[in-house]
Amino acid sequence: MTDTHKTIVVTGVGVVSPYGIGLDRLEAGMLSGTCCLERTKDDVYPGFEGTTAPVRGLPPQASSHRYSRTDQLAVMAAQDAMESSGRDSSAFREGGILMASTLGGLTEIDAGIAKDPAAWYRRSGGLSRAVSYPFAHVADSVGEHFGICGPRCAVSVACASGAMAIALAASMLLDGAAPMFLAGGSDPLCAFTLSGFNSLQALDPNPCCPFDQNRKGVNLGEGSAVLVLETLAGATARNANVLAVLRGWAMTNDAFHSTAPQKEGTGLADCIRLAMEMAEVSTDEIGYVNAHGTGTPLNDSAEANAYETAFRGRKRPIPVSSTKSYFGHCLGAAGALEAAITIMAARSGALLPTLRLTNPIESPGIDWLRGEVKRQPLPLVMSASSGFGGSNTVLIFESSLS
Amino acid sequence: MTLNLPPVTITGIGSVSPYGPQAGLIQHGLLEPSVVTAWTSDGERRAFLVPQFRPATVVPGLKTRRLDRLSAWALVASSLALKDAGIDLNLVDRSRVAVVFATVFGCVELTEAFYLSAAANGWNGTDPITFPETLASAPASHVSMFHGLRGPNVTVSNKYFGGESAILQAACLLRQGQADIAIVLAGDALSRSLYSWYEEAGLLSPACFSSQPVSEAGGFIPGEGVAAVVLEPSDSINLRPNSRSYARIGAGRWVAGGQAVEIIRKMLGASMPSLTICSGNGAPCAVSPTTTLARELMGDEVPIIPPHVFAQGLAGSGALFHLIMALASHRVSGPALFLGTARNNGFAALVLELP
Repeated sequence: MTDTHKTIVVTGVGVVSPYGIGLDRLEAGMLSGTCCLERTKDDVYPGFEGTTAPVRGLPPQASSHRYSRTDQLAVMAAQDAMESSGRDSSAFREGGILMASTLGGLTEIDAGIAKDPAAWYRRSGGLSRAVSYPFAHVADSVGEHFGICGPRCAVSVACASGAMAIALAASMLLDGAAPMFLAGGSDPLCAFTLSGFNSLQALDPNPCCPFDQNRKGVNLGEGSAVLVLETLAGATARNANVLAVLRGWAMTNDAFHSTAPQKEGTGLADCIRLAMEMAEVSTDEIGYVNAHGTGTPLNDSAEANAYETAFRGRKRPIPVSSTKSYFGHCLGAAGALEAAITIMAARSGALLPTLRLTNPIESPGIDWLRGEVKRQPLPLVMSASSGFGGSNTVLIFESSLS
Repeated sequence: MTLNLPPVTITGIGSVSPYGPQAGLIQHGLLEPSVVTAWTSDGERRAFLVPQFRPATVVPGLKTRRLDRLSAWALVASSLALKDAGIDLNLVDRSRVAVVFATVFGCVELTEAFYLSAAANGWNGTDPITFPETLASAPASHVSMFHGLRGPNVTVSNKYFGGESAILQAACLLRQGQADIAIVLAGDALSRSLYSWYEEAGLLSPACFSSQPVSEAGGFIPGEGVAAVVLEPSDSINLRPNSRSYARIGAGRWVAGGQAVEIIRKMLGASMPSLTICSGNGAPCAVSPTTTLARELMGDEVPIIPPHVFAQGLAGSGALFHLIMALASHRVSGPALFLGTARNNGFAALVLELP
């Protein structure tokens, strides 16, 4: 029998992506195979030439001089999540907030701060721009904007941040820290990160090809996603619409290298095994894996090894795709956006293909999804995230209450 | 909602602070701010600075040359805390050890260095070795890599209660069975741009600009350092030989708003702490809102340990220092309240049992 106090459910999903605001736009865009990656020249910084996926046409009312772009995206996604849950922000007053970001307010800072900080702060708006620099500000922005007073903090674990915020929020719900949580991630396009990934020679100048043998690197995108998480008991008491059940989650670390994943994908494989143990599901029951799939040579081969290990003994190859092929890698938001996509895939029974995947990595245990969207019931789905520093997070969702 | 859950115990402490690297409770005396020499400025600037030391002399084999100081200190502090806890990692399942790190500003020194490389060479000429070390999560990642810890690795930030939230989230991981041991770290490093920010915003104490004794009421003195504690479930520490207990953590709350007095009294129930340890977040000790709240909660009967002036300078990542310095200076046993508040920005309260 289900323990409603120990069952974590998703009752709202908010998204700001290059497709626009809302999960419905994301769903329509992805199911139609629309790719948001575009050629960029001198856009984010002078001299940059490559491929990115920007969010365009943000509503002006969301702008505020105190908010960085990271904060703006987060506030809009949180608003969308609350609307999706059918409640206004007053219902969330006692709720908690765990928002992830790798950048925080770095969008507000420029290289001038390092040359002469005092002069930089004295320049018009320098001091108020710097207020959003600490990455905690992304959680504060959401909390202050909506008057939410529960436990509040930001999470930064490189590219696994968004998924980890969801996992931590779920653990805190079980601990009774708050009646509900807004959990997710937000990261914008920014000269700092584009330059950093460029310096590491990790960017594909063209639209990326995750899991392809000819993959050349990652594209960066921007966006934010926020989930409303609560216990089933809480959701039932309010007659809330349950969008999905978070059946299991796990967090591990490779303890291997600052930027490279462990070659055999052992850390991610362990994470998958732990999440399945928590969810009490077998390898055969998982219908789809939304992979981290950045498109870098090292990540994708390590990840393929992880799936081969974790799903060994499965009767049929595990269906896997990378939705970063649609709108790039949104860094601290990626894990949350992909959690939203995974829930959407499960609810609509859609196996989303990896775009531009023509010559997949040879992995007999993996069904690399490509070509058209396939339709089938997907009761249990998984989202996997990894990041610099070796962090891994796996989330398992169930599309309906069993 | 009150958290009365299975307690966890602090079994080891390590730190890198203006008192230098230390295992166990910080043996501290009077501390004067030092003159900043890392950058030039028009006139003297002072802060509570970590004295220079070679990490490898404290932790043999440690290589920190390319790391932000924050990462290097996290490595040293975590090593000292594990040693203090008497934990031999060779006898531990390292996939069951979590790392939870709290910082407000992250790796600011290398972030500045990355910006300088952009200013000098353009954004297309930045340094690939520096970039990953600018991540706020780099210190925690290095701790996992150095010690081979494969459990959850989390970096969190809260402008006011980073240290408290790290303790409570680590306790949550232990209670929810996601780890058997957690290393909790909290800290920040000072950089030129950070110091300038405080100065330009008018937040600094006159003591930052003069060696003469001044009232601290006019601002705060910035500080730096990393503190680490080892947390273990209270019911499992007796199973481990050589284990010790600095404090047992029972109930805990950390929120961004609400009626602090009412909520904390409800959390305490019938128990009355015999001591209140105050945390802080950059406010001068003499006018700390935490001390005011403590008096409102406990009256004048219960001893109150005010925020420590050095840890005040660490803003939201100073909580662990407040706690371990208070434990060093007040050897009492019984129930205690660890309290921090930032007026309208909420509070954090942990109920401790001191052995």
